[in-house]
Amino acid sequence: MNGDELNPAAVAKPVEDVQGDGRWMSQHIRFVQECKDAEPDVLFVGDSMVQLMQQYEIWREFFSPLHALNFGIGGDTTCNVLWRLQNGELENIRPKVVVLWVGTNNYEHTAEQVAGGIVAIGQELISRLPKAKIVVLGLLPRGERPNALREKNTAVNGFLRSWLPRLGQAQFLDVSREYVHSDGTINPRDMFDFLHLTASGYRTMAKPLSDLLLQILEETPEERRASLV
Amino acid sequence: MSEEQRSLAATPVPCQDVQGDERWMSLHDGFVSYSKGKEPEVLFVGDSLIQLMHQFGIWRELFSPLHSLNFGIGGDATQHVLWRLINGELDSISPKVVVLWVGTNNHGHTPEQICEGIMAIVQVIKDKVPHAHTLVLSLLPRGKAPNPLRERNAKVNKLVQTALLSLPHASFLDVDSGFVQPDGTISHQDMYDYLHLTPQGYQSVCEPLHKTITALLDKPAEN
Ligand SMILES: [Ca+2]
Repeated sequence: MNGDELNPAAVAKPVEDVQGDGRWMSQHIRFVQECKDAEPDVLFVGDSMVQLMQQYEIWREFFSPLHALNFGIGGDTTCNVLWRLQNGELENIRPKVVVLWVGTNNYEHTAEQVAGGIVAIGQELISRLPKAKIVVLGLLPRGERPNALREKNTAVNGFLRSWLPRLGQAQFLDVSREYVHSDGTINPRDMFDFLHLTASGYRTMAKPLSDLLLQILEETPEERRASLV
Repeated sequence: MSEEQRSLAATPVPCQDVQGDERWMSLHDGFVSYSKGKEPEVLFVGDSLIQLMHQFGIWRELFSPLHSLNFGIGGDATQHVLWRLINGELDSISPKVVVLWVGTNNHGHTPEQICEGIMAIVQVIKDKVPHAHTLVLSLLPRGKAPNPLRERNAKVNKLVQTALLSLPHASFLDVDSGFVQPDGTISHQDMYDYLHLTPQGYQSVCEPLHKTITALLDKPAEN
């Protein structure tokens, strides 16, 4: 991981509107606008794994009460998230925690590059939000049966586990083991298309994640503690 | 070129596993094996708009009680649904109603070609399940602001609606209850990414859909 400029997964890039309805940019612009109106304590950013979470009850149950914003866009790679964060999605907000979940869509990149891209996003977050803590979620396994993408995502998680401590204020939460059964299969009850989580699949990760977020939110803010006195 | 493309929307083809985890074929195989021994009254088939419906409370509220199966796969275009239905998904079930919702992912195809793809699926359903009534749902508008794909989907709807008029075993249902607001935009409260429906968006689609399905189930078969 020497020289992020050589890592294609760490190059900021908007999504090209190949379909012709401008949806990606519309979502980004909406997020930038939301920053002007909201004061989130927690920011979720990433791909469809983040985005879909907001469509289920668990969002209202576990994360809305923490004052969370959701900046997930389906199909995003590390490059796309990096571009969004450099182009307005962090302006006017001061979240105490950022939850980052991205990388499974980086099909053109090696595991090492994907992990490097995630670390680059972490660095971007730290430079723009020096006081925020970062929670990086491990990539989940995918596909009904063992396959090369599962191995790659496992390898990404391995690199993250060893590299993220260098960022200082980042924590790694890896729930990937919860989804593979003893025979090596993934059940559509957890991932309806063997990639995206069902409501019950989200439930598995929502509790450990919200526990971690609550713990971080309780530890951090002096101003909050002062206001309680 | 246009002849070649026309054949593409109406020529059955499995989705190519470009990502390398074989999820599409796993889903198809799962549908085929899951349907064995099941006796659904209603089959929902199509793309992500069908698939995601299954994930929200509205499915258990309105459609599970009707004995429904959901064979939706995200990203599917007409040619993929066509392939799935020819290759086993209709072989061991005889639903009374088939709800078909596909076409918005047919990128690069003209409205005529997409209509042809939809009509080819309607024909396969007729061949495989002769007593079923097929309910073809209108393609929804997409994109936050007006754009060519909205126009394309609207044209597909006109063509499909006309083509279905002459078929006694199929009908068209417009499920757009007004997703485009007076200023021409679509709200993320209805479509979170300006394509896929939120639970609220599904509510407005599924209530009239449920009424139409129950009316069809109550009616004796016409053919
Ligand atoms: Ca008719």
